[in-house]
Amino acid sequence: MVLERQHSDKTRVVPATEALVKEEGRYVYCVADAAEQVNLGEIGIDGNEVYTIPYRDICAVVHNCPAQPYQSDDQEVVKAWVMTHQKVVDAAWERWGTVLPLSFDTIIKGETDGGAERNVKDWLKQEYEGLKSRIEKVRGKAEYGVQVFWDPRVIAENLTRTSLEIRKLDEEIRLKPRGLAYMYRQKLENSIKREMETKADECFKDFYTRIRKHADDIRVEKTKKAEAGLQMIMNLSCLIYKDRYAELGKELDNINQLEGFSVRFTGPWPPYSFVGGA
Amino acid sequence: MEPTRNSHATLVDLLDRVLDKGLVIHADLIISVAGVPLIGVNLRAALAGMETMLKYGVMKDWDERTRAWESEHRKKKEISVVSGEEIILDMLGSYYYSESIYTAWRMGRIYLTGKRLILYHPSFEEVLFETPLEKIKGAALETEKYFTGKERANLCLLLKSGDVVRLHALDTLKLKEALEQRMSTLGLGWQEMPSLAVHDERSAGFLGQGEEVICSGKMWHLTSAKGIMAESWKPGHLYLTNKRLCWWYDSEGRVGFEIPLDWFTGSMVETRKLAATLKREKVLDVLYHDGQDKEVASFSGDHLEEWVETLNEIGSGKQLSPAFEMETCPQCGREGQANELLEKGCRYCGWVSPRLKRQLRQSALEGTPKL
Repeated sequence: MVLERQHSDKTRVVPATEALVKEEGRYVYCVADAAEQVNLGEIGIDGNEVYTIPYRDICAVVHNCPAQPYQSDDQEVVKAWVMTHQKVVDAAWERWGTVLPLSFDTIIKGETDGGAERNVKDWLKQEYEGLKSRIEKVRGKAEYGVQVFWDPRVIAENLTRTSLEIRKLDEEIRLKPRGLAYMYRQKLENSIKREMETKADECFKDFYTRIRKHADDIRVEKTKKAEAGLQMIMNLSCLIYKDRYAELGKELDNINQLEGFSVRFTGPWPPYSFVGGA
Repeated sequence: MEPTRNSHATLVDLLDRVLDKGLVIHADLIISVAGVPLIGVNLRAALAGMETMLKYGVMKDWDERTRAWESEHRKKKEISVVSGEEIILDMLGSYYYSESIYTAWRMGRIYLTGKRLILYHPSFEEVLFETPLEKIKGAALETEKYFTGKERANLCLLLKSGDVVRLHALDTLKLKEALEQRMSTLGLGWQEMPSLAVHDERSAGFLGQGEEVICSGKMWHLTSAKGIMAESWKPGHLYLTNKRLCWWYDSEGRVGFEIPLDWFTGSMVETRKLAATLKREKVLDVLYHDGQDKEVASFSGDHLEEWVETLNEIGSGKQLSPAFEMETCPQCGREGQANELLEKGCRYCGWVSPRLKRQLRQSALEGTPKL
């Protein structure tokens, strides 16, 4: 995680340049499935007032800000901002049921005559069809994160016991003189590595088919570095009707019980992974 | 299993979502950092602050230029060469370009218009290949083993001029169907062919009347010593036709070896040392009788076992057992020819087989002068 990057300890927000400050912007949290024009209170980033800008039956959830991105060298500050962003999206999600979340730091600027407010409205108007169809797609659904890890030591150990090829190599090593045994050990390591890759592939296919059945839609995400010597072999985002995750949970239990495997199940999240793209 | 939202581990999961994902707004509307729209830039780098970003020069120049170039090119929605023509299909593709010694798959966009088939390179604004549809006689699909090791489909077009053009597209089948359909709409004839013979400029030059290539492939050949030239391996192509076996010498552009099929007596593959660095290479030995002597011609390349099978089938020859199998020395583990190891011992560490030891001892005893 890049946010863990070490910077100077002092909290420092980069000062805005004169030209930028004069311009106003609207920080957009999400688009909600509601025609309401309301004020949600001072719950925004840095205590800003969050309110909605409606167009027909949808609205953008925003706060007023200078047309300048939020940026800081202090990771704690950034983390707090991101958490606040998420809290606002959560509040909107709870209130209106269906939202299209935006990623952190999306600010619509006010260069043209009507200013930022006008630009937000124009954007809603222009993209109305697309936004509506996305809203329909995620209506009543939530996103759940599924990450499967394995302990490479346990898996390698098991492979050594079950794979014929590896067992044969292992036995051969015992019979070799020392110099040759070294060469053979390398061969053995390569062979284990290869078999682990094949195994990871098989597991991925197997788990994917099992999980896919219980999700409305699914995204395969990049695997991340894991802690405590574990390896992440699978990272999925699943779109599921809110609170209908029990079946998936059961399936994940089965995977979690396999020797050497563990599962992380997170959510419900607003459908971040299912609203992007064209 | 119940999903969780409130632990340290889920924080990472949440940050990933909030920072990298979500609805995307058109770049013109939103603010940018250092002239680069925030979306699509590594947002985490941007969050680190403009100063940090500029200090490390993160993407600024590169990104600006790339984006400018990209948007410029995206604006050119239609290429000028097809302006005024209806575009039926527009697909990434490539075509096999071969001229004298230069051959390559050249990439571009394949456009099928109402009248023409064009391969165009958008960045260089160059037409790589084009033909009016009425000049196409027919086509065949071929599968080819691409250098990535995967099989892929190519479309071979036979033109009325007799030329054969090989095309590959993102979806070769779709291209073929679209082309076929357009041809029939225009009322042009279309000949479906099972396959087109090896359209190989090389073989076309030396094949005789009624001679057909059965198989061919890239192959090194051990040319015999001539004058001051020692014997050496030369690159080329081996052809088996219904009349002869011949090897095309690439660098001299001529047939460097040929025998009529009835000279052929057998073939086999064995592992030999070819050079200092090629210690264990498979070699195809072709045995033949030229009317006076038994001769051997050696080749090295891919798929040798298949060659042996095909050759022996055709020449109804017997597969011969290899004489020079390689073996590892049991003492030092180095490679040597099996028969040499058995008869002379290892030349590196001096290991001698027990049988040879006995023989040596015996001959030493016998050689002792009688008193």
